[in-house]
Amino acid sequence: MVIVKRKDAQAVQKDTQTVQKDRRSRQRDLAGLIAELSDSIPIARRWAARDLAKYAEAAPALVERLEKETDATVRQAIFTSLTLIGNHLAVDGLVRCLRSDDAALRNEAVEAMKNLPDAVSPIMAGLLDDPDPDVRIFAVNILESMRHPDVEEWLIEVIRQDEHINVCAAAADLLNEVGTEAALEPLEALKQRFPDEPYIAFAADLALKRIRGG
Amino acid sequence: MTVAKIVISDEAFQKFREFFYRKTGIQFDDSKRYFVDKRLIERIGATGHTSFRSYFTFMRFQASGEELQALTNVMTVNETYFFREEHQFQCLVKAMLPEIVKTKKPGATIRIWSIPCSSGEEPYSIALYLTEYWPGIHEWDVELIASDIDTEILKKARAGKFSPRSVQHLPGNLLQQHFKRLSDGDYQISEDLRQAVEFTRINLHDPADTRPYRGFDVIFCRNLLIYFDDLSRRRAAEVFYDALNPGGFICLGHSESMSRITSLYKVRKFPEVIVYQKQEA
Amino acid sequence: MNQKRILVIDDAAAVRMYHRFYLEGAGYAVDEAINGIEALEKTFTNGPFDLYLVDINMPKLDGYGFLRELRRQDIRQAPALMISTEAQSHDKTLAFEAGANFYLVKPIKPDELLAYCRLLLGLGGAA
Repeated sequence: MVIVKRKDAQAVQKDTQTVQKDRRSRQRDLAGLIAELSDSIPIARRWAARDLAKYAEAAPALVERLEKETDATVRQAIFTSLTLIGNHLAVDGLVRCLRSDDAALRNEAVEAMKNLPDAVSPIMAGLLDDPDPDVRIFAVNILESMRHPDVEEWLIEVIRQDEHINVCAAAADLLNEVGTEAALEPLEALKQRFPDEPYIAFAADLALKRIRGG
Repeated sequence: MTVAKIVISDEAFQKFREFFYRKTGIQFDDSKRYFVDKRLIERIGATGHTSFRSYFTFMRFQASGEELQALTNVMTVNETYFFREEHQFQCLVKAMLPEIVKTKKPGATIRIWSIPCSSGEEPYSIALYLTEYWPGIHEWDVELIASDIDTEILKKARAGKFSPRSVQHLPGNLLQQHFKRLSDGDYQISEDLRQAVEFTRINLHDPADTRPYRGFDVIFCRNLLIYFDDLSRRRAAEVFYDALNPGGFICLGHSESMSRITSLYKVRKFPEVIVYQKQEA
Repeated sequence: MNQKRILVIDDAAAVRMYHRFYLEGAGYAVDEAINGIEALEKTFTNGPFDLYLVDINMPKLDGYGFLRELRRQDIRQAPALMISTEAQSHDKTLAFEAGANFYLVKPIKPDELLAYCRLLLGLGGAA
């Protein structure tokens, strides 16, 4: 039988966190980990980013690294840590990512913010008012996971007032799921706001049907 | 006083269907209407609601995510048995292991992790499959680690005693060769196979527990992540990423997908299944 | 004549439904994916597709990431129509670099959608 079981050694390997044994080993405290964030080896940066999750003060360093990081696995670890830290510094950093030219960065930031409903809700009204329509769309996307009593009200406000069609479209889509009778009249009005747009009519009618029938 | 019977309207079904598809990747077409309605009504009642609408709002906004988990539980089939999702074991033997051995030096050990292992059907199935269907078993040592959070179920797994139901999908000759029928009707797995698996207790959410798990070539994590919330799923996927060797594979349950979890892994299509691979060195 | 198969990739359910409605109405077979990873999986299991409609902003794997990976893996190199919410010029360049054949800004009117699909399906080589 050649399926082995280690009777003597441990079934799992000892924790090996250092990547290069010949290198002077760095302390895995806050300062040491932040230094490791700039290591030339991606896996070292990844482990550093992962381990920084327990230091709330590390948020600015993580955000700073995010802006230069090109390795997707390291970025993922940074976003996870920022989510776990979830303080206003982390959220500020995530908001900055929403404006990035890098689609992956923007979308990962949206996801991270979706996992931080309580930390994001204080700034939601501001995001929904952002001069950039893409940021407003992201704000609507983030509302999907928000547990706040004003969610529907915010969405209704968007479809009443937002001048950008895709922001309104995103809000109408979400109202499919969270809309109540309060959204019925604003949805009808939305169709009149964009009378020559088949997609708006489609999305509004869908939401109306869902709210009335569900 | 009669209680109004709860009815799931077409719109309610659509709403639920879209929500569930977004969250889990599981798609219910119209033919599953009865299946879905029945379970929704069950959960609506169980949570003390009287309408789909109030239930949906409650479930959707619940911070703990418990009800979504309970709902996912009833909407998915959860039985464990030998050779469940056998095509993945076929893929292991026909495709994954051949690729892995190409990267190994002679004398290296191949390491496979089954988590959650539950009562042992999965890791023992792997051991059985390798023994019977993998020619490479004569050339390569394989180490099989099986983990679960529940110490009681681990005890059961170590004991290696299974019900007729659990072994019903095994080919007759394998059952005869590797199991002994006991007087109570259950089947005792052979001592060789019992000794082939190392069972360990692990809490996947605890970094102190998970950190030592390294150097695996294949991970089977079937029908677990679907029950986690978004952030926990992602973190578990990261734990597995760190646990895998470069080029290592991870298999999820057939109705699960990394599309609802993370983009860390490369999607690999083999004839039998889709599996996920950590980037090669 | 074989029915042409189109994969609609967008994280918004209503957008997928809208595209599906008009495309099926025009006789195409339509499949859906919610993000780039699911799109790759559907390509592997339900493909090959004759045309991809690719949204840019999606969770887990965005439109550019999907297209790059598709171009690395897809032997047929089926055409892809990239769909964006904004008409920023750098988005267009990125789209073509990632492997899109065309680029449209949402929302797309039905006749426009069908016209561009017809055009791109005409460009796609024989299977």
